[in-house]
Amino acid sequence: MAGEARYLDPAIVARLATIDLKARTIVEGFLTGLHRSPYKGFSVEFAEYRQYLPGDDLATLDWKVYARSDRHFVKKHEEDTNLTCHLLLDVSGSMGYGSGPITKLQYGSYLAGALAYLMNRQRDAFGLIAFDNRIVSLVPASARTGHLRAVLLALERLKIGAGTNVAKPLRDLAAAVRKRGLVVLVSDLLDEPQSVLDGLKHFRYRGTDVVVFHVIDPYELTFPFEQSARFRDIETAQEVMAVPSAVRQDYVERMQARIAHYKRELGLAGIDYCLLDTSQPLELGLMAYLMTRRRVL
Amino acid sequence: MFGISFLSPLFLIGALAAAVPILLHLFHRKTDVVIDFPAVSLLTRAPVPHRRRRQLRELILLALRIAALVLLAVSFARPYLAGAAAPASAPVTVVVLDTSMSLSAPGQFARAQQAAWQAVASAPAADAVALITFSDAATVVVPPTSDRNAVRSAVSAATAGAGGTRYRTALASASEVIGVRAGRVVIITDLQQAGWEANDAGGLLDGVAVRVVAVAGPTGNLAVTSAMRRDRSVMATVQNYGPDEARSLVTLMVDGQQAEQATATMAPFSASGVELRGTFGDAGAAQVVIEDTNGYQPDNVRFLALDPSPAVAITAVVADPTGAVGGIYVERALAVAGGGGEFVVTVVDGRVLSKWTASELSRQAAVVILGTRTLDRHGRELLKTYLVGGGQVLLTLGPDVDPGTLTDVIGIDAGVMPAPVRSTDATLVATDSRHPIFRPFLLPSGALGDVQVDQHRRLRDQAGRVVLARLSGGDAALTEQAVGQGRLLVFTSDFDNQWSRFPLQPSFVPFAVETARYLTRGRQQRRDFTLPDVPAGVPAAPGTVSSGEGVTARRVVVNVDVRESSLSATSVDEFTNNITRTNRAGDRAVVDGARVAEERQRWWQVGLLMMLVALVGEALVGRRAA
Repeated sequence: MAGEARYLDPAIVARLATIDLKARTIVEGFLTGLHRSPYKGFSVEFAEYRQYLPGDDLATLDWKVYARSDRHFVKKHEEDTNLTCHLLLDVSGSMGYGSGPITKLQYGSYLAGALAYLMNRQRDAFGLIAFDNRIVSLVPASARTGHLRAVLLALERLKIGAGTNVAKPLRDLAAAVRKRGLVVLVSDLLDEPQSVLDGLKHFRYRGTDVVVFHVIDPYELTFPFEQSARFRDIETAQEVMAVPSAVRQDYVERMQARIAHYKRELGLAGIDYCLLDTSQPLELGLMAYLMTRRRVL
Repeated sequence: MFGISFLSPLFLIGALAAAVPILLHLFHRKTDVVIDFPAVSLLTRAPVPHRRRRQLRELILLALRIAALVLLAVSFARPYLAGAAAPASAPVTVVVLDTSMSLSAPGQFARAQQAAWQAVASAPAADAVALITFSDAATVVVPPTSDRNAVRSAVSAATAGAGGTRYRTALASASEVIGVRAGRVVIITDLQQAGWEANDAGGLLDGVAVRVVAVAGPTGNLAVTSAMRRDRSVMATVQNYGPDEARSLVTLMVDGQQAEQATATMAPFSASGVELRGTFGDAGAAQVVIEDTNGYQPDNVRFLALDPSPAVAITAVVADPTGAVGGIYVERALAVAGGGGEFVVTVVDGRVLSKWTASELSRQAAVVILGTRTLDRHGRELLKTYLVGGGQVLLTLGPDVDPGTLTDVIGIDAGVMPAPVRSTDATLVATDSRHPIFRPFLLPSGALGDVQVDQHRRLRDQAGRVVLARLSGGDAALTEQAVGQGRLLVFTSDFDNQWSRFPLQPSFVPFAVETARYLTRGRQQRRDFTLPDVPAGVPAAPGTVSSGEGVTARRVVVNVDVRESSLSATSVDEFTNNITRTNRAGDRAVVDGARVAEERQRWWQVGLLMMLVALVGEALVGRRAA
């Protein structure tokens, strides 16, 4: 990872001082990298000029530049929308786990902050709901100036909560969200899969689009432990004595089966699913968001 | 009680290696941490062993590994079972308590017990304590032990007996108990002077400390030192070992009834003879009893049997008993021995003897061969078998003996020249007057000088033959030699007043009797015994008992050794100086003994086998755990 892209590394981002700075760093780095990507044109804000090439939409040709320089330039700009976005961040106990430099909650916070920053740049209205087995923090959606700061402050103050119960907050929120929009769920989904699916489907029934960021730690994917130990559940304190070498294959298969289950069931429900490993760059999350937003709009 | 000792105890240091698996186990336990993990619900329990079962398995593994290492170290240390209960390396204090008769004066043994209890109490705390009691023999009553109450109890149970004192036997036993360990010996005794028997062996190793606790004896002691029947009376001797004149009633008891009583007065350090007349039969058990309230008690009684002594069977073989002179002088001479009952002589000629069986002849304590001319082949074979098989034979070389067949009779060539030698007025000269046969002739001197021998047969010199007496001319008169397991005496003239007038001389009777006694020594049935030398089956305690069955039944008496009655005692310094010390090189015997015991027991092989079993078990359990 080199140049600006290295700032998308979650470990690097974690060293930055405030969530505000973190979010800006993530998004700016992401957008800079996006110059070389095929995803330009999503924003209404001016992005850049470039030489006209055959095949370009003539509507994008900047005639003023042509008049001044007698050369054809295409004006690239950010897209303008009136989307309302709800950021749902899971702060349950299991989100406090982290085998590396950051926990899942930190990763989710950075992702939520970056999304908020990006939404703010795109003039979208956005809000934040943090929950464990209940809603612990709520910032209503808004597109006002200064709203970004409120969301980022709320993210900054989040603490690890109790056990996960995704379904209940989702049902509550589904009833509360009346306006068509986009719901972004950031969670490790360590709950009963069917409950989670039922909760998310409530949004779909009401016409709300949903994108799920399944945040997971690398150790949860590979279970790389070596020595025998007692594994204690962070939320329930349930203990299981296990020899990793003996249970690893079974565990990984179960985890992959659960991920596959989410991917399949959410896909069938028209919900975008994005698996995010906390060691992976945050741009993957932003990219997934933009893809969903594009589809929604 | 047995304890484990080790031939190479330094190898036991290797057992410290057992700490390695223990440390590994503890280290392993320390790393058995709790890991917080969010997706525990996805962990399956099926392949994970139950925690308790796993812990048990780990403990079994640990025990097997420790056992294997310890067994390896123990096997290399070469263990063996030794006769000590306390650890073989622990220092030991051996309390040696004298229980001989010289501790039997009133109150004396109680003082000895008190001293023993103090010795046990004052033994160093780290020492094992052992108890040995001794008189004629030493007994390890309590092997080295840390249980001092057991030693105290054993001291309480000890009593003074009627035995003599044998210090070297006790010291040898103490040395054996101590072995190669550090040790000290506390001897509690009256320092009896008679306890240092010259023929005994035994001492202590260098470095073994000795403390002698002297238990004072009585100021005086009376003892019946002898009692013997003389016709219708019993002659007893009462000895006064004290410095003061003493008087005592002397009572003769016959078969439990008082037969006679007399008073004896003994000057200081003197003995007095007492004749006790009474009415008693030809047989019975008697005892002479004195009163002595201050001295040793067991020597106040002397037992004796009133029964006549059983006669010793002797056969005289003559050429022809019808001649009326063959064997008569021998028969008459032996008939007077022991008051007439010591020997029973049977005179037979060769023809009669040839009808005897070997068993009949073997019952004869001795055979006197005066003539061989009527012996047939079977008779000669009988006599030869008797002699070679351990018989006692006196052979005369008179005119009735056929030198040509003599080799067949005695089984060897005696080197007898057939032709008789005339030796006018030759006399007998003993070559060694201390020989038992000639002991009666020491006084008056020269009694054998009256013997006149006219003819004799000359003997060629032979190896292994001892000349006991010679004729005045220099030829052998009486010789002794071994034949097989038997003994052969050869008199070169005759006992029938043909070639010699010896049978007519006064010296013939004692000569014949002492020769018969010499030949039959050990074949007589002894009746009087002194402790501790008693025959098998007879209790080693003073008294009268019946021994044997049937024709061999007899009454025997056992009395104390009156040497023990003496009040003479050594000083502590003399006692200590008398202890034989052996240097540590003497440990070699102990070490060799241990090595022999270890090689015989071979416990190291069992240890290695058990170690292999432990390793196999460890492999199986470990594989299952993996």
